[in-house]
Amino acid sequence: MGSIISFANAIFNPLIALGAAPVMLIVLTIIALCFRVKFPRALEGGIRLAIALTGISAIIGLLVTAFSTALTAFVQSTGIQLSITDVGWAPLATITWGSPYTLFFLLIMVVINVAMIFLKRTNTLDVDIFNVWHSAFIGLLCMFFGANLFIATLLVLMIGVMKIINSDLMKPTFNDLMRNSNNPMTTTHMNFMMNPAIMVFDKIFDLIFPWLDKFDFDAAKLNQKIGFWGSKFAIGIYLGVFIGIMAHQSPKDIFTLAFTAGTALELFSQIGNWFIKSVEPLSQGISNVATKYLKGRQFNIGLDWPFIAGRAEIWAAANVLAPIMLGEALILPGNHLLPLGGIIAMGVTPALLVVTRGKIIRMIIIGALELPVFLWAGTLAAPFVTHTAKVVGAFPAGVPKGQLISQTTMEGPIEKFLAYLVGHATSQAGMYVVYALLAIAAYILLFIWYAFQMKKRNKAYAEAATK
Amino acid sequence: MIKILTACGAGVNSSHQIADALESEMRNRGYEVQCEAVMIKDVTEDMVSQYDILAPIVTPDLGFDVKIPIIECGPILYRIPAMAQPVYDEMEKAIKSLNK
Repeated sequence: MGSIISFANAIFNPLIALGAAPVMLIVLTIIALCFRVKFPRALEGGIRLAIALTGISAIIGLLVTAFSTALTAFVQSTGIQLSITDVGWAPLATITWGSPYTLFFLLIMVVINVAMIFLKRTNTLDVDIFNVWHSAFIGLLCMFFGANLFIATLLVLMIGVMKIINSDLMKPTFNDLMRNSNNPMTTTHMNFMMNPAIMVFDKIFDLIFPWLDKFDFDAAKLNQKIGFWGSKFAIGIYLGVFIGIMAHQSPKDIFTLAFTAGTALELFSQIGNWFIKSVEPLSQGISNVATKYLKGRQFNIGLDWPFIAGRAEIWAAANVLAPIMLGEALILPGNHLLPLGGIIAMGVTPALLVVTRGKIIRMIIIGALELPVFLWAGTLAAPFVTHTAKVVGAFPAGVPKGQLISQTTMEGPIEKFLAYLVGHATSQAGMYVVYALLAIAAYILLFIWYAFQMKKRNKAYAEAATK
Repeated sequence: MIKILTACGAGVNSSHQIADALESEMRNRGYEVQCEAVMIKDVTEDMVSQYDILAPIVTPDLGFDVKIPIIECGPILYRIPAMAQPVYDEMEKAIKSLNK
């Protein structure tokens, strides 16, 4: 046994010493080869991932270095404790994909999906391999808070199974929203795990405030008016100016902050694209293998959520919620995130659209009510994100110790609290076990109630179709 | 040169899959195309007017009339070549009808 371990150490230690980017290059290439991706394509994916990791590190460095002094001054001059930089989704995705555990969580999610199809527990084949990082993030966060790999895997599997069931539940609503019932598109995206909570608010609306719906406005017209003022670089500029002024910086520094934020927000999504491309060969390989084994079965296909991005309500709600979130962030006790990269709440509004089916006033009000949960979850995850960024070498040296990064509107806020409780329950036992079990029970019960409501909704769709 | 515009949520994932697939398949079929992917929220009437074809996942509600041909490209994302084929055929038809 001892010789096996020392043999493994002799091979792996020099590899790990190479750093995250080379390790992930090798690991991703090998996993793609296992799914019979041709060697040049597999290697291309591996290299792209290494480049994306390196690129995102550079931009995080640019942003955090520029903002660290201003944010410290901001806290001093305003007394508002918002010292965590909101870097948006791309750095978090990249950091998560920088961990080999993400590939492990990916494999177990593929296995459970195929098993569910075989057992006729779902009708969805998920080909959105890239977004498995949301599940992996929960698993890694759970381990960061003290869980072992086994417990973290159980949590990821539980949420993963519910996500797949949810994709079946939402399918008729997607058809309705796309005004097209002849397509297999659905999604297992994490952001729709907020649906049960949103549905509670939606039912309250039905009971007490249905009259508010008559104030619904034309979302597309609003978006058209906002035009470029709502684009990434413009938002970076506003927030740079806002922080600069609040932190009493000189005009020259304010301009630097504004342009740096604009640059970083544009580049984050550019690099986000690089590393989506890095997973592309693996995604195709997994899809090929899965469809081969499932020959002859008709199933829905799980994609990334933007097949409903053509619905203007998603963007109108995100536009209106952006300043609301900034206001909430400034006064919310326990929040330390200053909205920047995640201020366009793409991780929030698609679920609002699905539950309310486009009632824009409800989307905005429920969105405003649930945003604090996102801010707290982002604050909760900040030490983990920063730690992991440092591990994969994506965090600049020389930044003051208290400086953290995270995201304001990251999908799956409730799941982060579950990860926190489950992690602590594993490492500290005691009352945390009770809290974790109660939280999971509540999470599952709420989902069952939601599933029941969605089945009622789907029955109504089916009846309407036969009329 | 045929200029195609595609769009999705963040303008980095689905839309780029569509852009890459369209560029390589149309090149194989002998057409010179350039396909750009953007965030759907940033699509304006002015932007659309600079392209020949709009290639969204599903026809979006942009708040203005799109005057160029729209080809829905969702099936490209299914990762099953047989399902993407009709989209490419539609796209080829649209390109031919432009007479460029």
